[in-house]
Amino acid sequence: MGKIFLMKLLYKIPLFSFLFIIAFETLYASEVNIYTSRHYDSDESLYAEFTKETGIKVNVISGKGSALLERLKAEGKNSPADIFFTVDAGNLWKVQKEGLFSRINSKNITSIVPKNLRGPNDEWVATAKRARVIFYNPKKVSESEIKNLSYEDLAKPEWKGRIAIRSSSNMYNQSLVASLISNLGEKVTEEWAKNFVANFARKPQGNDRSQIIAVANDEADIAIANSYYLGIMLSRSKGDEQLEAAKKVKMHFPNQQNRGSHINISGAGILKNSPNKDNAVSFLEFLLSERVQNYMVNISFEYPVLKDVLPNPIMAAFGTDFKVDEVSVASYGELNPQAVKLMDRSGWQ
Amino acid sequence: MPYKLSISSWKAFPFLILLVFIAPVLIVLSSLFGDYSENWSHLYNYVLFDYVSNSILLILGVIFLVLIIGLSTSWLVTNYSFYGKEFLEWALILPLSIPPYILAYTFTGLFDTTGTANNLSREILNLGQDFVLFPNVRNIYGAILVFSFTLYPYVYLVSRTAFMNQSRSMLEAGRVLGLSQFQTFYKLSLPIIRPAIIGGLMLVIMETLSDFGAVDHFAIQTFTTGIFRTWYGLYDLNTAMQLASLLLIFVGVFYLLERYSRSETEYTSTSSTFRPTKEIELKGLKSSLAFFVCFFPIFIGFLLPVSELAVWAFSSNLGFFNEKFYTTTFNTIYLALFSALLCATLALLINYSIRFTKSRFSNLLSSLLSIGYAVPGLILAVGIVQLLAWLDNKVLLGLEIVLTGSIIGLIFAYLIKSYALANSTFESGFKRISPSLDDSARILNSSGWSMLLRVHFPLLKTSFLTSLLLVTSEVVKELPATLILRPFNFDTLAVSTYLYAAEERMFLAAAPAIAIVAIGLIPIIILTRMIKSSRPTTNKDGYDS
Repeated sequence: MGKIFLMKLLYKIPLFSFLFIIAFETLYASEVNIYTSRHYDSDESLYAEFTKETGIKVNVISGKGSALLERLKAEGKNSPADIFFTVDAGNLWKVQKEGLFSRINSKNITSIVPKNLRGPNDEWVATAKRARVIFYNPKKVSESEIKNLSYEDLAKPEWKGRIAIRSSSNMYNQSLVASLISNLGEKVTEEWAKNFVANFARKPQGNDRSQIIAVANDEADIAIANSYYLGIMLSRSKGDEQLEAAKKVKMHFPNQQNRGSHINISGAGILKNSPNKDNAVSFLEFLLSERVQNYMVNISFEYPVLKDVLPNPIMAAFGTDFKVDEVSVASYGELNPQAVKLMDRSGWQ
Repeated sequence: MPYKLSISSWKAFPFLILLVFIAPVLIVLSSLFGDYSENWSHLYNYVLFDYVSNSILLILGVIFLVLIIGLSTSWLVTNYSFYGKEFLEWALILPLSIPPYILAYTFTGLFDTTGTANNLSREILNLGQDFVLFPNVRNIYGAILVFSFTLYPYVYLVSRTAFMNQSRSMLEAGRVLGLSQFQTFYKLSLPIIRPAIIGGLMLVIMETLSDFGAVDHFAIQTFTTGIFRTWYGLYDLNTAMQLASLLLIFVGVFYLLERYSRSETEYTSTSSTFRPTKEIELKGLKSSLAFFVCFFPIFIGFLLPVSELAVWAFSSNLGFFNEKFYTTTFNTIYLALFSALLCATLALLINYSIRFTKSRFSNLLSSLLSIGYAVPGLILAVGIVQLLAWLDNKVLLGLEIVLTGSIIGLIFAYLIKSYALANSTFESGFKRISPSLDDSARILNSSGWSMLLRVHFPLLKTSFLTSLLLVTSEVVKELPATLILRPFNFDTLAVSTYLYAAEERMFLAAAPAIAIVAIGLIPIIILTRMIKSSRPTTNKDGYDS
């Protein structure tokens, strides 16, 4: 008897939870639905704060950017999603190219975000920046070597066997190479990539953080990685071991003598079929408010989009007014496939 | 005519179900009839060779190791009694609860230059800071180890059942005719259990081919990482699906060849001569050796990663036992249980109906569905999304999205994904039931439902439980489809693990990972109890000797 009862109950659970979810969703008349490929814990407190401030409930699905895009496309005009929130400009470009974004009409937003950090027709905006910089071991790399060092210089023979960087499957590397193609042209970039790959200290492996650790452990002299990783490691939130490793390395902004360091973004856009457009606009305005920008940069160690907000002191210690490559981040997406093929041809695993 | 009606409904039922289940695989395959982009020439010229050769090397290595581990351990526990056997016999299934990518993360956590194992060895042996005792595991050999030690239970499970079902009379006859112990294994046991082993091996191959997490973490360029690079990097989902289709065709050809090669040699034991095998007792050194052979895979595939995870979990601040953690665990458990029951029941009905109606078409669909297991998870998930969204928008008239992003859609996806597991168990289960039994039942005027419930089901209890076990552990671990199909604000343990592990925040990923393992243990324990109680004097499927 008990068994049968259990079976019946089990059978009903999905049905109940389904009804429950529907009931729950209609209860909250005011909501905003976010598809995100960012899954930082800090984002959750951000959503909670937004609900507290506006009373708008935030519903979230996080997953791979490309996969969420397929879900968006399949759902079509019935999609419940209001906002697509992601890292890497290439991801935003893909959604933009599918024509799934609507133009952001809020003056509050477009007036404060610089042109090169927005979609070509304001389909999306950056909410934070990160630079892809050079980390070096001061014991192994001399002052004169690191001074004025550019991405281009890393292809020179004196760096043979000294560079650590992660695999070319990584989107940050793809964006970096896309920006080089945009600045130098494909031919020069390919020549550069071949020589650059020949300088690798080891087969590309691990994430950005393990490149920094490799420099700290003398496995390589310099590494290319995103700026905020050093901040995270220095904040001790990843334990004493990473703090010790981070103390051994220094950060250098490449290409300060010419176009500036390569940056990428976290960004978001409002979807064309969004059922809660006003709430979506409120959410973006919230992300770009001074208070929230301050909060975000202090927790994620990214750089702010707003001029008046300072980065976290740990990051600010490495300099705040470094020169930034002004190439529109929108071009990264367009050049991304070209960049991947180029890296394949030059043997960058 | 009621009789006729029942035949056609038995025919139509599996056909319809299978057709729906197969749709996502067909969606993936349909890419073959679309355009071929210029990316193909790039792939062909620069990377395809590496992708293919690495994948083949990986598969061959995994097959080799999995056979050695699976067969040696199952042969030992079914034919011998030795120190710790009672425990080892079920503990050998434990690695099934560890997803390959989790083992990959623990491997690098242990064996990287600054990993736990290397740090410990430096401290204990008082070596210099630069000394690295353990070799780098971020390569294809590391990947072979990871897959072999997490997937061997598939071979172990089926071959153990098969060894247990072999007749003692036959082995004794072999011994009387002068075969050595090894020869009885090689010449008599192995050919009989071959179909079962190949069935288990197919699952291993398909899981290895479809895995992305572990090979990506080790930065190995395999066919599957190539598929995702094409999708994520070249922004070309169509070519990615075409690549996945090629993978599917490759596995399919292999599968059909194997079927064809064994079609003429089918063995079933007839009940009159069946007696269960008698265990030989091992003593002294032999007993310790047998213990070690069985303990080693459990150590590498289960104890090592679980203890590393435990260390990680407890060195974080234990803040994970919050309300969210319990909801996530509850979500995981009921999804897994419900999907497993539904999947096992469906597989039972479909296999029975195929046996009963001998429908070649359903049989073909069933095989095709099994091969679908080789499609990389996220690619199949895209197929599932497209199917569900199509049903929502076209069939359910698009009033509101009902299936996509709902629990029902999620369970549906799990059924599609894990049907192959349940199916392979029932396929070999039904094969062991002699067709003469059906004839006898028919003479006694038992057919249709009554034959299924009164004759076959009692003989298939173990198969039913085994498929429950396999599907539960699959659903608990399932990630790609869950990620893309879940409702808003809905997490499972695998999702939580992934979200942390993706950023290599292993300390936080450890807690949900351990919970996955713990949930995987429940069906394993139930299954072993069932097996134990059915073991003594009769064959476990209940033939009277």
